[in-house]
Parts: sequence; C-alpha cells; structure tokens
Amino acid sequence: MKLAEPSVAAAETEAAGGPLQPSVETPFQRFVADFRDSRIAVGALAVLLVTVVLAIAAPWLVPQNPYDLAQVDILDARLPPGTPSSTGTFTHWLGTDGAGRDLLSGILYGLRISLFVGVASGLIAMAVGSALGLAATYAGGRVETLVMRVVDLQLSFPAILVALMLIAVLGKGVDKIVIALVTVQWAYYARTVRGSALVESRKEYVAAARCLGLSNARIVFRHILPNCLPPIIVVATVQTAHAIALEATLSFLGVGLPQTEPSLGVLIANGFEYMLSGKHWISFFPGLALLVTIVSINLVGDHLRDVLNPRLSR
Amino acid sequence: MTAFIIRRLMQSAGVVLAMSLIVFTGMHLIGDPVYLLVNPQSDQAEIEAAIRRLGLDRPLWEQYLHFLKGAATGYLGDSFVHGTSALKLILERMPATMELAFASLLMAVVIGIPLGLYAGLYPQGIAARVIMATSILGFSLPTFWVGIMMIMVFAVMLGWLPSTGRGPTSTFLGMKSSLFTLEGWRYIVLPALNLALLKVSLVIRLTRAGTSEAIHQDYIKFARAKGLSRRRVVGVHLMKNILIPVVTVLGLEFGNQIAFAVVTETIFAWPGMGRLLISSIQSLDRPVIVAYLIITVLMFVIINLVVDILYSVLDPRVRLGEKSA
Repeated sequence: MKLAEPSVAAAETEAAGGPLQPSVETPFQRFVADFRDSRIAVGALAVLLVTVVLAIAAPWLVPQNPYDLAQVDILDARLPPGTPSSTGTFTHWLGTDGAGRDLLSGILYGLRISLFVGVASGLIAMAVGSALGLAATYAGGRVETLVMRVVDLQLSFPAILVALMLIAVLGKGVDKIVIALVTVQWAYYARTVRGSALVESRKEYVAAARCLGLSNARIVFRHILPNCLPPIIVVATVQTAHAIALEATLSFLGVGLPQTEPSLGVLIANGFEYMLSGKHWISFFPGLALLVTIVSINLVGDHLRDVLNPRLSR
Repeated sequence: MTAFIIRRLMQSAGVVLAMSLIVFTGMHLIGDPVYLLVNPQSDQAEIEAAIRRLGLDRPLWEQYLHFLKGAATGYLGDSFVHGTSALKLILERMPATMELAFASLLMAVVIGIPLGLYAGLYPQGIAARVIMATSILGFSLPTFWVGIMMIMVFAVMLGWLPSTGRGPTSTFLGMKSSLFTLEGWRYIVLPALNLALLKVSLVIRLTRAGTSEAIHQDYIKFARAKGLSRRRVVGVHLMKNILIPVVTVLGLEFGNQIAFAVVTETIFAWPGMGRLLISSIQSLDRPVIVAYLIITVLMFVIINLVVDILYSVLDPRVRLGEKSA
C-alpha cells in the first residue's frame, strides 16, 4: 500500500536538507500534481484564496469603514445595489443595510470575523482533539475507554444542539462561540486520530523505532503523528466549513455573535427583517459570500480526501 | 437481549442525569436569576425574602437535589417569563415541531428516493450528474439562508405561499395538526422543504449508492431472466433491498430533525419548541432551557436505544450482548 506522505513534514525536510536526488519526485510534488488533476478543486482553491485575501485586506480595499460612525450616513439606509452614496465619492455596488452602511464593505469585514472564528475554532479543536486522540491510543486501557466514550456520547447528539446548550450557559461573544465550536468539534478529530493512530502503531516502522530504543513520546509525536496527518487535514477542511456555517447559524438565531462583532450570520439576520418588504439584497449578498466560502472549502476538502486516500490507486 | 436493554436503560439514565447536572450547574454559574424575578424597585429585604422563597440561599447541591425530586414527579420548574410550568410550555409546542419534522422526513423520502433511484439507474446521463451536483450543494448550503431565499422567492416575489406561522389546525382521530387540511399544507410546505433540504441530499446519495450496487446482483439478473417487467424489478426487487439503509438512516435522523427545527422554526415563525428555546435563551428563562435540554436529551437517548434494538431485530448478525454501547 502506497501512503501519500504528509505534505507539511515532507516539505520541511526538503527545505532543510535539500533533495538528494533532484530527479525523484518528492511526496509533496506528487501531492501537488495529484491535486491539480481536478480543475474544479483548483478553481475552488483559487476562489478560497481570493476570499481569504479579500477578508484580510478588507480595511484597505473597502470604500467605507462600516463601523466608523463618522463615515456612515443614516440617510443612505436601504439603498438598492448600484446607487451612488450621498457623499458622491463612491458607489454602493451591493446597496446599503438598514443603518446606511455600505453592504460590500460590511460583507468584507464580516468575512474577516466569520473566517477568523471558523479557522481559530478549527485549529484549536484540531490541537485538542488530536492530542486527546493520540493520548487515548498511547495510554490505552481506562483512559482510552473514557475518552472514546465521551466522543461517542457527544457525536450521538447533533452539533447544533450541543452548541446551543453551551451558548445558553456561556452567553454571547467571539471567545464564547469559539469555545462552543471547539467543544462541538474536538470529538471528530479525536475519533479520526485514534482510528489512524491505531492502524499506524501496528506498522513496521513503529516496531523499528521501538527496536532503536526511542522513547514512547518520540515515537508518538515524530513517527505516528506525521503519518496521521492526511486524514487530519481532510477532517480539518470539512470541519472548518462546518464551523463557519454553524457560527453563521447561531449568529442568525441571535445567540451567537453580538451586533458589535458583525459576522456574515449577523449581517444576514439584520437583513432578514427587511426581506418581507422586498429589500432582499441586505440578506442575499452576505449569504452569497457565506455560500461561496463554504462551498469552495468543501470542494477543496472533497478533493483532498481523494488525493490523500491511500486506498485509491494513483 | 433483556440484560442488554436493562444495561442500556441504566446507562441512559446515567447520561440524562449527567447532562442535567452539567446544565443545571452551568445555568447557575452565569449569574443570579433573582434580579429577573423580583420587581426592580424592591429593596434589599424583599430581595432576600425572594431568595429564601425560591430556595436560592441553599447550597447548589441541595438545590440540585430539590430539582431532581421535582423532576422525578414530572415537575421541571416554572418559567420565569410565562409563569407556568416549563414542561407544560414545551409539551404544548411539541406537536408543532413533531409535525414539521415528520413532514420534512416525508418530503425527503418523496423527493430523494426517486431522484436517487434515477441517478443510480442511469449514472452516465446528464440528469444524473445534475442530481448529484445539486446534492453536493444541498450539503453545503446553510439551511437558514436557503429558508430566507425561499421566503423571498415563494412568499414575497411570487406570493404563492404564506411565509410565517402554522396556519389553521384541525382535529382528526384525536390529533391536532395542520396536515389534515389543504390550507395547513400551504403553511407547512416551505418550512418542511427547508428542513428537508439536507435530508434530501442524504437520501439521494444513499439511494444512488444502493441502486448502483444492487443493480449488478444476481437476484436482479434472475428477476430479469424470469421475464418480469422492468417496473416490477425496480419497484419490488430493487426497492425492497435498498430501502433498508435508507429507513435506518432516516430513523436516526429524526432526532436531528428536531434539533435543526430550531433554525427553521425561527425563520418561518413556526410555533414549535425550538423557537421557544431560542426566545428562552435570549430572555435567560432558565427553567425552560433546562427543561428543553433534558427533554431533548431524553428523546435522543430513547431514539438511539430503539434504533439499536431494531438493528438486532432486522439484522441477525448484530449481537447486542457483545456490544458495549
């Protein structure tokens, strides 16, 4: 069985030592070549990168800081897309919201918050879940039973219910929603890591490392963990998309982020009240931005799953 | 089998108890409910009297035991906002949620199975590819946004369907539901479709996978060789075999539907228990939150248990005694 090597670790080794035989394809190059096979996935990745750049560069790109009250005029409220602003310096290409804020600017700022919450909770959940999954496999016995029981128990309840329960206890705010999302997601990572760590720990290279007298910690972190990375990466992409969608849902319900942290979900919720009077753009465009982000992450993740799956012959 | 059920029941009771403890303690960590209950103008003595009356001066473990004692007799506390029993509030709204969840599962089956069957029978066709691409979209689309868009298109722009509320209910065989009248269906169709969206994608994928696998099996070839009509082969022989996983998954998803109904109910102003939960969270109505969570956890534990038992009944290879679920 040919295992697609973890790209990150391999790339680092290459960068550090330099390739011994330049003609041989490195695992990372093979990974890149495999990934390029799907035009849809490459397109999705491009869209995703553009989204991230737009979100990060938002303060320098947008015509108006929507949360600086000096720049917002309430008389501009609910303008349809394409209307010039009352100051005459720029055009509201996507219209304005109920408080007169430029919607395009609001969306780019909202994208920042949504992506930050999604990525931060994804990374923390990955660290916590992977560590617990590895620890469970490494310790075995009671610890393993306990951790995996909690995982099973948590995964038997829908994510939104667990998140709502936590939000009811914790309250609103970025930090609280990240805590809720991490609590919801860590179990997926723990289960994935334990599954692949169990498989890896029975392989010959682990036995070889044992024979060399390496410490258990070194075997777990330097030998087993890198080989568990491919499934972790796949779960991470899918779960980040989930986290963004879940945060948007909670914020839409009015129990996620407060008005002072307007993520895309908050923007959609704000526009919802104008929906029945036909002012659809206030909800439509933030939703479109959310949709593009989630779909592109899912498409990339879907293809990553195929590329990193050792069982598919390549 | 009996031993398994008893053991599972005990484990389930443990889970519910642990959940109630977590929720109960969590609720008491976030502040003092007494200021929500007393008159804002009341003085210190009145506040202290209220605290004593509500038992809030007791240690937390004593309050919890008191709560458990009440719970054992079916009393989960009174709502701060409505002033009536929290359990009653939830049970009043439960039929609306159940009706929504049921209608959406029905839609998932009615829409999902034919499409999945078609995609499995003619996998090379353009229609099949469109169906599969749409099902990927169905997984990615945020439910609440699709709901908003549905309101925009069908209620605001076209004006075909009502966008909010449950509509008139009528009584049939002792059950009150809006499913018995055409007018009621007009109200439920948008919310149910919205809630069904994810499940439609799931059913399409399950049915397609099952169909493309079963189509090459010997019993299908044999049925064809017997000279049965295509309609009968697909409708009876194929369907019977692919429906088992679909039915199991849908059974498991029923609980999910109730949880996700929170979102749909908020969008379409459906008077169910999910909307009650959201408004209770916003108004910090703790007894209702605690009662909702305990009831939902109880429901999930029961659904999981029933599914496990059904598995062993349907599939003799599953031996419950050995499973440490």
